[in-house]
Amino acid sequence: MNATDREPPGPDSLDRQLAALPRDLEPPLLLWQGIQSNIQRAQRRSRPLGIAAAAACVLLGSGITWMVLRGHDGSASAPSAVALRTPGINETLSPRYIATRAALESTFRERLALLDPDTRTQIEASLAVIQKAHEDIRRALAAEPGNPVLEQLFESTWHDEIDLYDRVVRTTQPTLARI
Amino acid sequence: MTLVQFRHLENAAPGEAETEPTVLVIAATRGDLAAFEALYRRFAPRIYALCLRLTGQAEAAEDCTQESFLAAWRALSRFEHRSRFSTWLQRIAIRTALARRRGLRTLFEVAEPAGGLPDQADPGSGAPPVDLERAIARLPDGARHVLVLVGIYGYSHAEAAAELKVAEGTCKAQFHRARGLLGAALGLETP
Repeated sequence: MNATDREPPGPDSLDRQLAALPRDLEPPLLLWQGIQSNIQRAQRRSRPLGIAAAAACVLLGSGITWMVLRGHDGSASAPSAVALRTPGINETLSPRYIATRAALESTFRERLALLDPDTRTQIEASLAVIQKAHEDIRRALAAEPGNPVLEQLFESTWHDEIDLYDRVVRTTQPTLARI
Repeated sequence: MTLVQFRHLENAAPGEAETEPTVLVIAATRGDLAAFEALYRRFAPRIYALCLRLTGQAEAAEDCTQESFLAAWRALSRFEHRSRFSTWLQRIAIRTALARRRGLRTLFEVAEPAGGLPDQADPGSGAPPVDLERAIARLPDGARHVLVLVGIYGYSHAEAAAELKVAEGTCKAQFHRARGLLGAALGLETP
């Protein structure tokens, strides 16, 4: 504030009385509850859409990757979750990383079960596409070891999967549990 | 982070009541409701008092405070830390109070008296003697808004004029008028 621009105090006490009024007053105790419930209601409304949107983004990205790979490799055999965890892949990762990833996936599975059926179906479809793309790239890499484009795509689908787990876990984090 | 931890952070610098709550603001911007609650606990008394004095009604002030914090929550990502958080929040509250007032006018078609705003604050005939807060609440809107910002919260006339979207001269005239009306209501002589 520009103090020089303030109205000079009058000879009477009015200006002093005004300046002496408390600038803060305690609001009613329940006011925060209304704000909190409004925010939480808005979050609940937007959460399924947010998850679906995230899944749709991953689906799109992985779908493109998969299509690129099909054009490159031509083989599109069905992937398996077990195949994704072949020793050849995991050997390059630290045990701590693998454990963390397993824990994240476990939490993801728990949270996924809590979602409404439509959202769950959409996320599972996204995950299937990611895993299929990942497996296709792995096969292509076996045929062309060291191909930089394939290596990048392989890493990308790995991260897509982790990102999807993380996104679902974070988005379904119960807000009250953190307070 | 829990609310208790945020409160600990908030109190990390004892004696510095005006410490900028950067950590809380950043956490709240990332969607942490506990951080936002800590911000609410710290700033709600100022926002509520401002809303109460701008609207002149307790119920309207409660609504205005809620709306202000909800608007702040929605706009947090756009807060660029170029001003103090409290200043930004007060600006939201002022706009909310003024918008609410305009909305009520539209909703209930409250027209200005033919001769403009009343020359005196509503004396409330037969009412008990008014104290300063009551007298302020009874001031006409324009005069009250200026008096609250300039007389109580220390805004300059230029700052108050910008917030209220009126000319600085209008702001000064309204302040002079408000003081006159208050003085008359309280039985004080004002220059």
